[in-house]
Amino acid sequence: MIPEQFGRVAILLVFALAFPALPLTASYLFSKLGYRTSNPTPVKEATYECGVESEGTSWGQFHARYYLFALGFVIFDVDVIFLYPWAVNHAAMPIAVLFKAFLFIGILAFGLAYAWRKRALEWR
Amino acid sequence: MSSAADRRPATPMARQILEHHSLLSRARALPGEARFVLAVLTLGALVAGAGIGFLVVTGQLDGRWYDLRDLGNATAHFRGWTQRQGIHSAVPYLVTGLLGGIAILSLVGGWLVIGVWAERRLIAKFQIRQGPNRVGPFGLLQPLADAVKLLQKEVLIPIGADKLLFFLPPILIFIPAMLGWGPVPWAPKMSYADLNVGVVYTIAISSLGVLAVFLAGWSSNNHYALLGAMRTVAMMVSYEIPISISLLAIVLFTGSLQLSDIVAWQAQHNVWMIVLLPFGAFTFLFASTAEINRTPNDIGEAESEIVAGFHTEYSGMKAGLFLAVELGNALLVGAMMSTFFFGGYSLFGLERWIPGYLIMGAKTFLVYFGFVWLRATLPRFRLDQLMAFAWKFLIPLSIIQLLFVAVESMVVVQSGLPGIVTIGGSIIANAALTFVGVRAWANAIGYSPKEMASPPIMTNGVGGLRAAEQIRAAS
Repeated sequence: MIPEQFGRVAILLVFALAFPALPLTASYLFSKLGYRTSNPTPVKEATYECGVESEGTSWGQFHARYYLFALGFVIFDVDVIFLYPWAVNHAAMPIAVLFKAFLFIGILAFGLAYAWRKRALEWR
Repeated sequence: MSSAADRRPATPMARQILEHHSLLSRARALPGEARFVLAVLTLGALVAGAGIGFLVVTGQLDGRWYDLRDLGNATAHFRGWTQRQGIHSAVPYLVTGLLGGIAILSLVGGWLVIGVWAERRLIAKFQIRQGPNRVGPFGLLQPLADAVKLLQKEVLIPIGADKLLFFLPPILIFIPAMLGWGPVPWAPKMSYADLNVGVVYTIAISSLGVLAVFLAGWSSNNHYALLGAMRTVAMMVSYEIPISISLLAIVLFTGSLQLSDIVAWQAQHNVWMIVLLPFGAFTFLFASTAEINRTPNDIGEAESEIVAGFHTEYSGMKAGLFLAVELGNALLVGAMMSTFFFGGYSLFGLERWIPGYLIMGAKTFLVYFGFVWLRATLPRFRLDQLMAFAWKFLIPLSIIQLLFVAVESMVVVQSGLPGIVTIGGSIIANAALTFVGVRAWANAIGYSPKEMASPPIMTNGVGGLRAAEQIRAAS
């Protein structure tokens, strides 16, 4: 049952790749048939920013402002994925399980509060 | 001064409003023959409907292969027929898989063609403009003209760009937009791939788009593109969490990760999740606009700040693909929203009469209309406001809602009380949480409603519906 359904997802993936390939092929054919101009000059091919010539490459060091957000995301997203198996079985479980889950969520919330207190959630 | 001169509208906008014909006035102006044909067609539709209704009531249609209310019946019969013929089971599997894939492809592709027109036209109506109305009837051929224009545009690859990585993103960005349609249920037995981990699959697929966006921004070797890509990554990463937590609340109630089970639960209990979890629905709506890079949260391609964001350097058909995928994503989120929060294919028993996929489609387009409305109404938010909103507002409140829902779902299943008491109580508790909690939390973190902007003066005084009424009344 399960590999069968993921096989369908694989078929869909082929369609997903074919979908944008179609207009791109049409675009390529247009250029081959001469309906599409192709006359690149150094000015045209220059990086388009704001009219002034670009200074240097953008592949240098940059200030990853969202570094702390990304760390928070990794922690939270993994933890939420851990909560899904609990959520599926939760309703029929004894009440002790609920308290344990609350403990888990509480630790998560404490982590969020700590990050907030440490000003990790400010966009600097 | 003659009275005729008085009646002439003063401004072009007023003239447009006066000349605007409503649907009703157009119907009244129809000639007699057209009315007769319309009446005959209506009568025929009624008779056909009554015949189908008779078949439905007597149950002669249930589970037959020609039962068009649920195309799952047809595929099941097809599978059984091939089994009786002794054909290998891979054949019906491949055939149904390919047909379903083509159906999804034509749905998304068709929407990319019509949606461009529909969205521009709708936004024009919101802003009392006409919108595209030159190419073809009502401007319907405008998307076609756009496509031809994009095909003829010169495709430039900037000198500094990484050629391979620059080529990939317009293709990769379509993967989440298409794969997301897999588990969407269109009728009780009709969904392309009814995965038992549908919710997790949805979350996983939706976060794939961020890779294509960052590739596009990075490979362009353009400062603005890189800035836009980094903003988008930060935003998508932040809004992923509210989405997962609000879907977790749904799973707590339904006890299943399968999307068809979630819809079946809503149909069985006769309650939509948006009533049960208003805050979760709001979270999902807002976070998904961020996730698909759509106005009001399209800071990744904020044209007033960073040219066009991550797709600044793309031209010709590649740029067209980036613009098109936004429409496809918006429709997909509409489908997700109607599956999770608006009861999917169910409509309080009416799904026995109307094909489920029509109900589902109608709900999807209604949610989509909501997105267009949002886009036409709200200005763009600032990036730091957006991030603060996700981390300081949506996530803490979603966690509090999760605690509420954990207790409620346990009561619903284990208390033995009738559903109207337990679910009704949950609705009241969650509504209270939404309306009290949101305000209290906003006050607690220092965003009191007093600081909000004053009510819209301009739209009431200068433009909008009231102005239209005044102009009509005056002339």
